[in-house]
Amino acid sequence: MRRKLLFYTALFVCLISLNLKAQAQTVTISGTVMDKTTKTAFPGVTIVLEKPYKALAQSGVDGHFSVTVPVNSTLKFNFIGYVTQTEKIGTVAKNITVTMSEDQKSLADVVIVAYQKRTKETTTGSATIISGKEIQDIPVSNVEQLLQGKVAGLNIQNNTGAPGFRGSVQLRGLSTLSISGSGNDSFLQPTSPLYIIDGVPLDADKAAEFGFQTQGPGVSPLSLIPQEDIESIQVMKDAQATSLYGSRGAYGVIIISTKRGNSKIPRVRLTSNFFVNAPPKLRETLGGNSERQAKLQQIILNATSINDIRRIDATPFLADSLNAYWNNSTNWQDIFYATTYNTEHNLALDGGDPRFNYKANLGLRTENGVIKNTGFDRYNLSMNVELKPNDKFRFFGSIYGSLGKQQKGDGLGLLQSGVAANGQASTLLPPPSFYQSSGGIISALKTNDDNSTRNIRSNVEGRYEFIPGFAITSSLSYDYTSDGEATFTPAAANAQFAKVYDYVGRNYTLYNRNAITYAKSFGSNGDHTIFVNTFNEIYKRGAQQGIINQVRTPNDQYQGPLGFDSYNSRGGGVLSTYKNATSASFAAALSYDYKKKYVAELSYRLDGTSTSGLENPYSKNPAIGVRYNFQKETFFNNLSWLSTGSLRLTWGQNIVPSGTLQSIYGTYNLNGNYNNTPTIGIDYGFIPNPNLKPTTTTQWNFGFDLGLWQDKVYVVFDTYYKKVDNLLFDRPLTNSTGFGTISSNDVGIANYGYELMITGKLVTAKDFNLTMSANGAINRDVLLRIPQEYNGQVIKIDGSSYPQRIVYRVGRNTLSNYLHINEGVYSRDTDVPVDPVTGKKYQTGGIPFLGGDPRWKDVNGDYIMDDRDYEITGNSQPLVTGGISTNINYKKFGLNIYTTFTAKRTVLNNALSDRLSIMRDPYSLLAVVPLNNLDIWRAQGDVSKYPTPYDYARFNQIQPLRPDQTLWAEEGSYLKINNVTFSYTFEKNFVRRFGFNNVRVYFSTNNLVTFSGYSGPNPENVTSLGRDISNGYPVPRLYNLGFNIELNTGN
Amino acid sequence: MEFKKFKLIKQMQSTIKKEFIFLLFAAVITSSCRKIFNLPKEKEYLSNNVNFANKILEPVLGRTNLIGGFNGDNSTQPIHFEIVNARYGDGRPVTDIFQKAQTYVWTAAYTGTEKSLAEIEAKRHLEEHPLFEIRSSGEFIMWPSATNDLVTPRPADSTNYPQDTRFFDVKITNTGGERLIRDFQIRPWRERPYDPADDMNLYTGGPAPFPETPYNVLSRNYIRPSRMDNVVGDSTDIDLGNDNYHRNNVLVYIRPFTGGNGHSLRFKVLNKDSVAIDPALFNETEWVRLVHGFNLVKTKEYVQYDVAYPIPLVNLSTIYAPGGSNAYIELKYSRTGFGQQRVTTVLGLNFGIYRAGDWEIVFHFRKDNPRFKDE
Repeated sequence: MRRKLLFYTALFVCLISLNLKAQAQTVTISGTVMDKTTKTAFPGVTIVLEKPYKALAQSGVDGHFSVTVPVNSTLKFNFIGYVTQTEKIGTVAKNITVTMSEDQKSLADVVIVAYQKRTKETTTGSATIISGKEIQDIPVSNVEQLLQGKVAGLNIQNNTGAPGFRGSVQLRGLSTLSISGSGNDSFLQPTSPLYIIDGVPLDADKAAEFGFQTQGPGVSPLSLIPQEDIESIQVMKDAQATSLYGSRGAYGVIIISTKRGNSKIPRVRLTSNFFVNAPPKLRETLGGNSERQAKLQQIILNATSINDIRRIDATPFLADSLNAYWNNSTNWQDIFYATTYNTEHNLALDGGDPRFNYKANLGLRTENGVIKNTGFDRYNLSMNVELKPNDKFRFFGSIYGSLGKQQKGDGLGLLQSGVAANGQASTLLPPPSFYQSSGGIISALKTNDDNSTRNIRSNVEGRYEFIPGFAITSSLSYDYTSDGEATFTPAAANAQFAKVYDYVGRNYTLYNRNAITYAKSFGSNGDHTIFVNTFNEIYKRGAQQGIINQVRTPNDQYQGPLGFDSYNSRGGGVLSTYKNATSASFAAALSYDYKKKYVAELSYRLDGTSTSGLENPYSKNPAIGVRYNFQKETFFNNLSWLSTGSLRLTWGQNIVPSGTLQSIYGTYNLNGNYNNTPTIGIDYGFIPNPNLKPTTTTQWNFGFDLGLWQDKVYVVFDTYYKKVDNLLFDRPLTNSTGFGTISSNDVGIANYGYELMITGKLVTAKDFNLTMSANGAINRDVLLRIPQEYNGQVIKIDGSSYPQRIVYRVGRNTLSNYLHINEGVYSRDTDVPVDPVTGKKYQTGGIPFLGGDPRWKDVNGDYIMDDRDYEITGNSQPLVTGGISTNINYKKFGLNIYTTFTAKRTVLNNALSDRLSIMRDPYSLLAVVPLNNLDIWRAQGDVSKYPTPYDYARFNQIQPLRPDQTLWAEEGSYLKINNVTFSYTFEKNFVRRFGFNNVRVYFSTNNLVTFSGYSGPNPENVTSLGRDISNGYPVPRLYNLGFNIELNTGN
Repeated sequence: MEFKKFKLIKQMQSTIKKEFIFLLFAAVITSSCRKIFNLPKEKEYLSNNVNFANKILEPVLGRTNLIGGFNGDNSTQPIHFEIVNARYGDGRPVTDIFQKAQTYVWTAAYTGTEKSLAEIEAKRHLEEHPLFEIRSSGEFIMWPSATNDLVTPRPADSTNYPQDTRFFDVKITNTGGERLIRDFQIRPWRERPYDPADDMNLYTGGPAPFPETPYNVLSRNYIRPSRMDNVVGDSTDIDLGNDNYHRNNVLVYIRPFTGGNGHSLRFKVLNKDSVAIDPALFNETEWVRLVHGFNLVKTKEYVQYDVAYPIPLVNLSTIYAPGGSNAYIELKYSRTGFGQQRVTTVLGLNFGIYRAGDWEIVFHFRKDNPRFKDE
């Protein structure tokens, strides 16, 4: 023992002396550290001598450094989140430039699981991380839009251009079959993932409770987050990753982390965007006299009797062409649609280090929609501060305040029916003027709709580590939203009587989470690591909304206050969305790994919600996952091309409370007076179901990660099976029970699919970088079960003027259409089949078909086309979604191109049906659309796609353009070049002269071009049920010029 | 040596591990979820509520009967229908209604504008069919080839004993399952070769008694014209068509005659002495478009056409059958009435003839002759 000690002492002395000897020869190295992406100086980079390990200096504000080191030593340049650069130093003093590039891998290596930061290789769940950089530069009103096509399995359809609203978001397929509304207004219940913003859960579907019939502002909570403030977005897909988020985690979890202060020198950064919203190509319309001529020709060629011709004389706008009132050529669409110029500015101030940092972010956005009298303005201020005086204690506090102001015109936001109807008006009518205007136009342009959503969200979180590895965290947040809408319709827009609609709503979430975590490594060399995370969560949610609705108010000048008037008040009061819900959850997770090679995770969560049935107040949510990082096996060591390799397998369960208080407890209604006493009676419409279970999602996931050639090529593959069970379904009861329906849990859907993401850093050179990434997902959904009495099929009958039925059939994709099968157009009268028994022609409504009529499949073979001739067809949900991104950097130029695609989806082109149907009545004051570019039947013998729309005499009987046929069912696949950003960063020395530290200018676009075989304007601008409705809000094309300016706040 | 062995085992282990990994890989990727998770296969839908609106079928023999009423409740087509277990109420099997016979089926649309008999015949042809069958739409067909001779009609004494009633079940299948709808009854009416068959007892086929004296076996009911405008009795000077007391003033007989070519139709008007009135006297009659017939022969006694039976051929609104279901003819003449007014006399008849042959339609002025002379 003593000899050993002696030996070591001797060795130590030798080394020291050697060291001293080496130190005798030193060399001074100076130089600059540069950021590879921004091409700017990089302050705060730590310069470390490798041997002996010793921190020498930090780079200065201008990135400059100067160190004196022994000859033949090695220097390392470190910065968190960046790849460490190594420089070998010879014997001569020199001036070097070190370029630091961001470590994509290390960023992706940290994931947040159950509110805890973990390294990715020890988690078993499936998660994708998007850096905040990927979602900058495009000033969209809702940052969600920019996630489209960036995460395999996250299906985002930006299906509305209404500013401040959001499209549809589905993670791993369909999770509901609940549809409200009918016809074009059919609205699939949104099942958005749960958003967690800096640890605070947020309900993204909050504004969507009424479907298209939005009450109140309808501003999506996500629209209130400025994208410049986002550091990273993490998308959690499988059950192991989401199970610990409990109730709303069943639809996936998206974690948004906002920026933290991270600069010794306070930084002031300004982002300004100046952008143009351009409406898409609008419907072509014949103007003025050509409209009149087209109508006259249609009447003359299709008249069935002399009375049709005579009616021309009785129709002034056709006959009286010299009348100034009827002698115009007004472009109505131009009156409603316009290109708008908008701005967005964001000022960020941050500073600090890991011990103490702070950030303040100030945002301002004003946007006018492409439909006049619509728009969205946003003002927000957010601040956070993090204090970590020592390794034991950490405090984080944040406050977000935002105000969203919205104008919806006279529409409902997502729908602009007034504009759609008036845009179809005849061009012969005079344009709107002081003297001459129709109520509809004034209504669309002059309705004073003032909406606002005010949101304040605060969050404090404290963490204390008692002994190493054992910590307690507590977090408390409060989120309060106040919504208001005041709509004043002037008298001229409403049959000479002004009217008033007012909406006031409030919404709050109080949330508390307390966690105990314990991390410990043991065994020889610390091979075994365990991590225990237990926490509880309490939610208190409440909401109340109320409206007043008064018509015939005194005049246009007086907008209120208004008293109650039993004649002119049109109802109101508290809306049915009143909510007072509590949920409490307890969760525990245990994770274990051996040498980070074999990883196992177990978690369990108990959820109690006040909206689950009385008999099932708690739901149990277990999850389990294993991971095998096989590249750490010794036999893979010799495979130099394999840098990462792991297999993951998880299983887990999540619940979503689906019931409402009414569905559990029933409702009592005021049933009028009896003996002058108000009576209260049971609502017999439905019977309460105390056995109501929450919707349960069970998910299997198998995946592998493969990194090749130092992760230059990175492949992530996942395959999953997701079962959504116990979905709510209203079952009709026999009338002997006295009640109408009962809500039960007898519907199940399964989704299964594959997700693949390949990233390739194709070129990495000093001045030139090329990275391409492609991802895609295939998702199939299958309806597993419906209540027994239906024997496997339910049809949602639609009584609207768009009777497109939806059929749910077990074993098939969940949302299929039930339509007449269109097999073309009868070329000639003689092509119509004849019933061999009766000798009658194939007919509908007693009218036999003729040439030019659509050839509908006679499904049941009775030679009569009626309600019995529907067939199940199509799938309104896309099968394939994905995206491709290309990032190129050359010197100070950058080019990013993001492309998204959606394939294999049925879109019902109701807009085309509406457009052709304008021709149904040439005597009405509707526009005439040129149909030359469509394959329309015109004469006997024509083989065409579309039936004749001109035969107005038989139009109402045959209804050749009826919406419930597969003629409108088109393949909705598209490839969209969504975003293109071209940027240039100015020479640093140049901008310093003007007091800037960094100036970057960029030109970007959104929704640039869509390639599709679809006949309508945009296959994406369709409802979540795949219907292209003509009263939707078109998605504009956006062109932007933006600047990033960082002030020189250093020395 | 020991060391080497160990290494070998390790190598083997590693290869096994590798293989295992790739096997797992292959297994997961190649096998579809549908199999692993035992997802339900899509079945055609067959509703529990499939039924027929009417389970007692009462077709009229000798003419096309298409009886619908199937309610599939959105069951998936194609549905296969099969008539099974046809029996009389006492258990005897029923076979007569399933005999095969030649019958006309349409191959092209009859329009009413055909220019010749050949053109009409080109649109239909004879096919062999069971007299009674069910087609893919769930509609029952009793073909016109089912005559009294082939199928025994319902009993002449108007009873409905089970032993005289044919029962059958219908089996409904698609790949989603099978339903059996039991106990249909078929009670055919005996042939009525023409319509209106007011002069015929529907049960016995014999003469029908006058409705107001149903028990007087000597009283007779007759077919009457559907329309009689301004028919003035020549000697009585009364409106023959608007005389309720003498409602049998003008009668119509639809009856076969001999001497035709097998597909001819003849119109005749008899006066009160049963002597034929010259058709030329009906000077306003549009003979060429009276019926869809050809080879018009006009004599002093009758007007005759070659026609295709049945009349009407198809339930389609044409100039010969405005309502579609029945042909309509008008014999018209005009004369000068009182006050030098032109008075048009119209004798109209809605009718149908279902059995091919030589038929004549006779208007008989039984009580008084019509007045042709001017006032």
